Amino acid sequence: MRTLLIGLLFVTVNAYSQRDTNKKRDTIIAPIQLKEVVLSTQIDAKIQNQLKKSSTIDELLSTSESISFIKRGAYAWEPLLNNMSSERSSITIDGMHIFGACTDKMDPITSYMESNSIDDIEIQSGQEGNMQGATIAGSIDLKRKKTAFSEYRLWELMYETGYESNNNQLFKLAKLSFSTNKWATDATFSYRKADNYYDGKGNEVKNSQFNKINSSLGVAYKSSAFSSLRFDAILDVAKDVGFPALPMDLWLSRALITSLSYTQLLFGKENYIWNTKAYFNTIEHYMDDTTRPENLVHMDMPGWSTTYGVLSNLTIDKEISTTEIQFNAYNNQSIAEMHMYPQDRSKQTMFAYSWPWISTFYSGIAIHHLLKISEKNKLSAGMNLGAHYNHSKYPEFNWIFYPDAPKEKTRFLPSFTINYTHYSTHNLSFSLGSGYGHRAPSVSEGYGYYIYNSFDRYDYIGNPNLKNEISYEINASANYNKKKIKVSAKANYFYIENYIIGKILSLGSPMNYQSVGVKGYTSIAHARLFNFSLQVQYDVLNNLIWISNLGYSRAKDDRGKNLPFIRPLNYSSLLRFNQGKLGIQTSLNGDAKHIDFSPEYGESPSSAFMIWNLSADYTFFIHTIKNTVQIGIENILSENYTTYADWGNIPRMGRNLYTSIKITF
Amino acid sequence: MVFICLSAFYSCTIDKTNFKQETSIDEEKNSFEEVVSINIDDYKVYIEALGGQFYKGYNKVKVKIEDKSSGEKLRFSEVNFLPILTNSDTILESCPHLYEMEYHSEDQSYHGYVIYTEVSHTEFDWRINIGFTINGNIYSGKEHIVVKEQPNKNLNMVSFTGHDDKEYLLALISPTRPKVAENNLIAGLFIKKLNSIDGDKTIDEADSSYSIVNHHKILLDPRMPEPSMGNHSSPNNEDLEQAIDGFYHGIVNYTMTGNWTLNFMVFNEKGDLLKGTEVSEDFTPGIEGEKSELYIDILF
Repeated sequence: MRTLLIGLLFVTVNAYSQRDTNKKRDTIIAPIQLKEVVLSTQIDAKIQNQLKKSSTIDELLSTSESISFIKRGAYAWEPLLNNMSSERSSITIDGMHIFGACTDKMDPITSYMESNSIDDIEIQSGQEGNMQGATIAGSIDLKRKKTAFSEYRLWELMYETGYESNNNQLFKLAKLSFSTNKWATDATFSYRKADNYYDGKGNEVKNSQFNKINSSLGVAYKSSAFSSLRFDAILDVAKDVGFPALPMDLWLSRALITSLSYTQLLFGKENYIWNTKAYFNTIEHYMDDTTRPENLVHMDMPGWSTTYGVLSNLTIDKEISTTEIQFNAYNNQSIAEMHMYPQDRSKQTMFAYSWPWISTFYSGIAIHHLLKISEKNKLSAGMNLGAHYNHSKYPEFNWIFYPDAPKEKTRFLPSFTINYTHYSTHNLSFSLGSGYGHRAPSVSEGYGYYIYNSFDRYDYIGNPNLKNEISYEINASANYNKKKIKVSAKANYFYIENYIIGKILSLGSPMNYQSVGVKGYTSIAHARLFNFSLQVQYDVLNNLIWISNLGYSRAKDDRGKNLPFIRPLNYSSLLRFNQGKLGIQTSLNGDAKHIDFSPEYGESPSSAFMIWNLSADYTFFIHTIKNTVQIGIENILSENYTTYADWGNIPRMGRNLYTSIKITF
Repeated sequence: MVFICLSAFYSCTIDKTNFKQETSIDEEKNSFEEVVSINIDDYKVYIEALGGQFYKGYNKVKVKIEDKSSGEKLRFSEVNFLPILTNSDTILESCPHLYEMEYHSEDQSYHGYVIYTEVSHTEFDWRINIGFTINGNIYSGKEHIVVKEQPNKNLNMVSFTGHDDKEYLLALISPTRPKVAENNLIAGLFIKKLNSIDGDKTIDEADSSYSIVNHHKILLDPRMPEPSMGNHSSPNNEDLEQAIDGFYHGIVNYTMTGNWTLNFMVFNEKGDLLKGTEVSEDFTPGIEGEKSELYIDILF
């Protein structure tokens, strides 16, 4: 296997990378020979386009037109990339693979971070995202803030606090950075506490509260002129989090995410960067149904997910080309238990594993190469070859439904991508790309056992014999960029073979009392997805910007029926006015009526809605202390609405007044 | 190194279930130990059961016969095993058992089984008659034993009167430790003969009052009775059919641990229903699962 991979590596070493040559480098590196500190400005740019300055990760992600969300409450939204569920994307933190410990997807990886420790979120669509491993929809990499080394001693302290009226949310975010020419440290702390929120009609949405504490620490040491060593740790604790769309809430989830990395500029050159990282993360997740008196049976559903891995990345940046090679390997163990207590507690509990100790081992090598053929033409290509191995410690659970299922399974996951960009004039460019890639079924899809899905109210059974999902993808984009106007149109089309989706099983009967039947994860012959987005930015005046987005998606299964969770026609329009230290913005966003919903997969139609928001911010200095105050209203008209992806059609938040102050020392 | 230290420092808030341990067989109860021994002339007969104790329902039995003078284990042409129940009215009857025991050379003992129909107490007294032949001489002996309530519900049994007005007994034999998995289900089906046994009869003349029923078919429908389970069942189960050992073999899948009801319907060789009713397949959350008129409850 390894020799095969290395062999292929040399064959394709001339393939081209997708990455932009101008791509921002890891900030550990840049400052190694630096005179001054380089701090990323990327996230700030993003927040400029955000209404709220103190956004959560979910709110930050939602600014990307390719991301939509499944919402089960006010907290921990599941990000859908290109309208595909999260098992189809590779979601990483600084390239580290982490897997949620909840069978009901209460804990997407994005819920274990906080915005004050995030520098950038890198979203790659489709096979362009195969650098971190096998994917279908693409990759989302959350990049942590990393303060650079500096020649003189440097301190920065940022403190932000705010309040949101609708759910009585109070939050505090703090960040401390310290750097010298040998050491660089970032520490962050955040605290959020919210009560139940109220919908547009003023009705309380019960069990929608949340409490979260997130802290992180990063310490970097410059081991030589051309190398550095860095240790990172994140500890995230969420307690008493309500999930109104689910029959259970969260009692406690705790994640510890750690890594140790070494960065070296090879040959002492800034354009040969080698970065190697070893990481370990462990997540525990405990649900709680004791606050739901409507439940007939008391259940405990603890889950654990532990992952350790390594990644090693070499980036060679030359004038006309960029090559990036990355090796990824990780091992994950996912365990989820289900304890049901009879009404007579003296009787023996009922027990089963919803994830019967599933181990996943993945190793893969990815190569991306980008070549500037001429001033007007750019070609990039990439590939990833992965081997994926699953092992079930208690395969007898899976044998109940699939008596011939193997105890272990190895899969090979190839992926290729190619992209060509042509600049026809200085202002206008076109690009065309294609991709091919496999992915292995997730733990739930392959080995899940009576996982209750409260959306369609079925118990789901995994099938270890599922085939790889295979994606064929084409994408195209056009960009027009003149002084005052920027227009960008993007479209992609996925044809996915062996698309995995739940189908009603004729065998078995439900285990959870709320469910109506048993579904098995099944490969349907194919599915087709199409996504289109249009973005226009127009500088009306020097200090007045108008940005608008339009998105349209459509997806069908092999029988021509609609797939679920495909976002209807949606739009957003934002106007921002800046006058000195004052900024005022207003925005409208909404979805059209969900016409192409999927009754076959348990969807009911949702109505059109439009939300109007307004905010103002003002920055001022007291001596050298920078203060930014913001005040705003979301959903001014208190529209009562649910989106196509709200589980259980739980209404969204009504009018919400928020205010925050950010102090930077 | 750092990671190892961290992971050692960072322990889980709630411990994982030790599933292997919970479902592993209790070693102590799994070994054969002496229940009672009988001295018959120059011979000593050891009667052994799992854990040295007989329980109501199915029990495996081993009999070893030793020459007292040499201490040698002996092999005979035939060893007969007969359990007899005496109650206060001095009506004597037997229970399902293997009369002619089978010799197994690997442990130099005779193997059989017995399915006790009652627990010993003041009114019910069990004894075992043992008979064997050496050089044409017939030896026999008897000894009282104690039968306790079976704590393992997976060895439950049920007696019933069939639609043919005959009395039957259905007893679970295996699995004794079910798994959340596909399990081979073995049950014994016996018919009660009306002639009772005279306690003074010698062993050769004795006739057991139960015998194996042949060529019947037992339909199986396992369900979880707990109201919150809403009449939950499992897939891929197979009805029980008679195998070469005389017992009825089928397949039961248990989807989780806890209380299960095995609902049965017994058909005779002509296909006539002897006992049992069909169970609703409806999912009925909050209502205790409806049971067949013939069922056995188990728990694991």
